[in-house]
Amino acid sequence: MSFTRRELLERCAAFGALTISTSIPLSSLAYAWDEAEKKIPTPTCELGPFYKRQAPTTSQLRAPGDSGMPLALSGTIYDVRGEVVPDAKLEIWQTDNDGHYDIEGYRYRAVLEPGAKAAYAIETVMPGHYPQRVCQHVHYLVTAPGHKPLITQMYFATDPVFDGNPDKNYTRDPLLTSRELVRPVMIKGDATQVVAVVNFDLVMETL
Amino acid sequence: MRGLVLAVLMISAATAAVASQAVKVQLPCESRDQMLSPTGAQAVVLCKDKSIHLVNLPDGSERLLFPAERDVSALSFSQDGKWLAAGFHDGTVEVLPSQGTAATRRWKADARRIDNLYFFADGKMLFVSAMNHPGTIWELSDTPTQRATLPDNFGGVASVAVSPDGKLLVAAGGDTVVRWYDTSTWQMSREYDGFLLDTFALTFTPDGKNLLAGGADSRITIFDVASGKQVRQLPPQMGSSVGGIDFLSDKSRVMTDYFDNAGEKPPHRLVWNLTTDKSTPVQIDFRPTCGSVVDGKLWLCNTDGRTLTITQHD
Repeated sequence: MSFTRRELLERCAAFGALTISTSIPLSSLAYAWDEAEKKIPTPTCELGPFYKRQAPTTSQLRAPGDSGMPLALSGTIYDVRGEVVPDAKLEIWQTDNDGHYDIEGYRYRAVLEPGAKAAYAIETVMPGHYPQRVCQHVHYLVTAPGHKPLITQMYFATDPVFDGNPDKNYTRDPLLTSRELVRPVMIKGDATQVVAVVNFDLVMETL
Repeated sequence: MRGLVLAVLMISAATAAVASQAVKVQLPCESRDQMLSPTGAQAVVLCKDKSIHLVNLPDGSERLLFPAERDVSALSFSQDGKWLAAGFHDGTVEVLPSQGTAATRRWKADARRIDNLYFFADGKMLFVSAMNHPGTIWELSDTPTQRATLPDNFGGVASVAVSPDGKLLVAAGGDTVVRWYDTSTWQMSREYDGFLLDTFALTFTPDGKNLLAGGADSRITIFDVASGKQVRQLPPQMGSSVGGIDFLSDKSRVMTDYFDNAGEKPPHRLVWNLTTDKSTPVQIDFRPTCGSVVDGKLWLCNTDGRTLTITQHD
């Protein structure tokens, strides 16, 4: 069983575990706490033309020998109160390193069910550029009971399109709806393998 | 008024099989993207500077529809060509006369970018869908009134069609599900979830007995409207998606637009004969900047950026 911060506060007070020494009403204190933890919903993007249903459940999208820089992509799914969404389901899809979507099959397409901690992680490759889109991107569809479906796309701050300045140049892709969606890329590894590491947390709105 | 460059002339086409008649007009701006009205009387010109103009054919007279800052996201003509609907990034919709001085209707239809607009045959109702939001039905009175919302799971609406008798609306969702609605009650009467990929084009046969659906699975699927069951599929064009389906004048052949999934090859067109399920490629030696079936015949646009040439193909 899990509790929201407000529920936890109220239960603590009910069991005497929390002493309110000021004249601030409990409801106000709970509200202030909630406000401090509030998260902004992840900006939405269009679904795109190549979403495909029934992708396999896997976190390993990269196969041995695949071209392109390995990419470790991870994050956590929250609601706007800052609580994790334990029953979320993610669908992730992207092009291969040459900028091609797999229409016939399910390469670089995955379904993830992160579970109680709402944390996800996939191993994939940096998607390529393709002619009709300006920027490299990864598609997300996140669904969870009681929440609005979240459709968005994640972009890379290292994308050459941004000329090293995504703050200034993110609008070069007309479909990139918010600077928030451009994520920093950390390069990790050693002489044998270099991996791009990106964190992309998602915030869902409640219905 | 822009000068008329050339009236009507006969040109020879790329192959002996195609004879074309052309209209050539000067564009009001640099443009690589246009849209023809269903009657062929006008062309909407989307300018490089993002302004949008309406050009009368064949005389070339034009007027500014929207300056660049209006941020138009969707456009659609009514089926008689008399009205034009425009959707905007802020969720506003405008319905304006393509000719004359009738009043423009403008209203906030959604909070998000408008992606799809579709006039019913009588021009009195408009289907509207915004990015990732369910489709809505609007009655086009002086003050447009929302009549229905057509729910989906996610992803909004990719394409829509209304049956020739107006009794049935079919909407293909971004969630890949095709839903059938009774237009008298707006209740969903049927749902088809056999597609795994998006459907970008829906068209009823002129007799209303069949529905043709095409999309990212690269093929046309034919449904029996009465039962909702899939009748057959035409052979796929691997690597391409179906982007548009229009019936030609003999009503047994359909013009089908395909776009390359990788975006590397130019779009191509096939004419499918629904009696034989055989296709014939449309042979042209240019990359069309717009295309439409007008009076049962294919019209294609070709531009050098400053002039627009429209050819009619038999």
